[in-house]
Amino acid sequence: MLQRLLLILAVGFTTTLALPGHAEVSPQAAVESSVEAIIDALKDDALDKETRRQKIRAIISKRFDFRAMSQRTLATNWKKASDEEKEQFVDLFSRLIESSYIGKIEAYTDEKVQYPGETVKGMKAFVKTLITSSSADIPVDYRLYRKDDQWLVYDVIIEGVSLISNYRSSYQEIVKKEGFAGLLARMQDKIKELESQPAEQPA
Amino acid sequence: MEKPITLILALLFPVAGFGADAVLLAYAGDTNLATSHDGGGPVMLAESGSSGTSATDDDDEDMSFLYDEDEETIDVYDPLEGFNRGMFWFNDKLYFYLMKPIARGMRVVIPEPLLLGMRNFMSNLGSTTRIVNAGLQGKFGDAGNELTRFVVNSTLGIGGLFDTAKYNFGIRKKREDTGQTMGYYGIGPGPYLVLPFLGPSDFRDGIGLFGDYYTSLVPRVFEGRDYWIAKSIEYLDIIALDKDTYEGIKRDALDPYLFVRDAYMQHRRSLIEE
Repeated sequence: MLQRLLLILAVGFTTTLALPGHAEVSPQAAVESSVEAIIDALKDDALDKETRRQKIRAIISKRFDFRAMSQRTLATNWKKASDEEKEQFVDLFSRLIESSYIGKIEAYTDEKVQYPGETVKGMKAFVKTLITSSSADIPVDYRLYRKDDQWLVYDVIIEGVSLISNYRSSYQEIVKKEGFAGLLARMQDKIKELESQPAEQPA
Repeated sequence: MEKPITLILALLFPVAGFGADAVLLAYAGDTNLATSHDGGGPVMLAESGSSGTSATDDDDEDMSFLYDEDEETIDVYDPLEGFNRGMFWFNDKLYFYLMKPIARGMRVVIPEPLLLGMRNFMSNLGSTTRIVNAGLQGKFGDAGNELTRFVVNSTLGIGGLFDTAKYNFGIRKKREDTGQTMGYYGIGPGPYLVLPFLGPSDFRDGIGLFGDYYTSLVPRVFEGRDYWIAKSIEYLDIIALDKDTYEGIKRDALDPYLFVRDAYMQHRRSLIEE
């Protein structure tokens, strides 16, 4: 009897686990888990800088859909680009975003994050967060969409400024003046520059 | 003028890279460098009619449903780009060679609570600008909140040094200025404009600075030369409290000028839509 009960429990448990998170995980919970994981990594003194960055990078790339972001950033230029160009862009763009995002969060280690609310509309969701530190409160909101059983971020809105829209207008202008190859070259230079210099800035 | 300084900042440190930087941009519109930038949220929320179901299996094209009508690229009208880039360069040098070194020194000498108190103090004096402009836009609730904040912070907050209204009563500041009021009544931004010392702006917001100046208490409290001294200190104070936002932009953006420009225009638009 007991065995059977245990079996039922075990089966029940595993099936629950196996079920796609679907309805269960709210977009806010998704954002929250990633943000908390990043903060934990930041606070973990046992990690050396490089390991910490790798850890954060892994958390980010799990939650951010860089392909969707790239597509939205390039907008019409995405359709015109060849497959290789697209791949190359996604790769460069994700490295740029990761490195600047990581640089930023490292500056705000004293922050606390509040979650004032979320809005879900079909496949899309909008999650608000408020980063509070001693010197400022910064609203950082995320747009997410559901892909299979996961909520993925495809835009970040800081102080009312959408990251994607902002990159889009700058990049469009560069493409207009220097062509797509020019944009890729600039991105490569920037990444080289970022990777060659120490990540932290002088205080 | 009250906003200018703020603008500087803005200009100087606009929004940012990713992450936390937009902070200062925030200040751009904010006549009174605030303690809290709250309320910034819902702007972009409008989830325009999500054309959501059009998803096909084609991995490439099925993302189209992610495009929202409300966030189409803003085409920035920038006929003065040559001049603006010159001013941007000037402000950049001003920041790195003058303001930043001083601000760094202030940070060493002045304890953070005092830096925050100075910022709160100046922000409190700008309450009148926010009250007037919220009122002019028919946002009487916001105007009332700002009035309450002003009274509470001027008294319990000891002349505005403490943001008691926020910390003890949960009433947060909301940015309002003359440029936003003009935008509310349908006046477009006009050409983008980088002002020397003051940073990113546009024709409408530039004109709005006069309105901000006349509605602010800062020029009443600090007259003549003292005004410019007070504004300079306010500016330095904000830089001292900032975490290298502008440095981050310089480091990350492919073209910092474009990044700042587009962020400024987008930020102002979101404030006006609020």
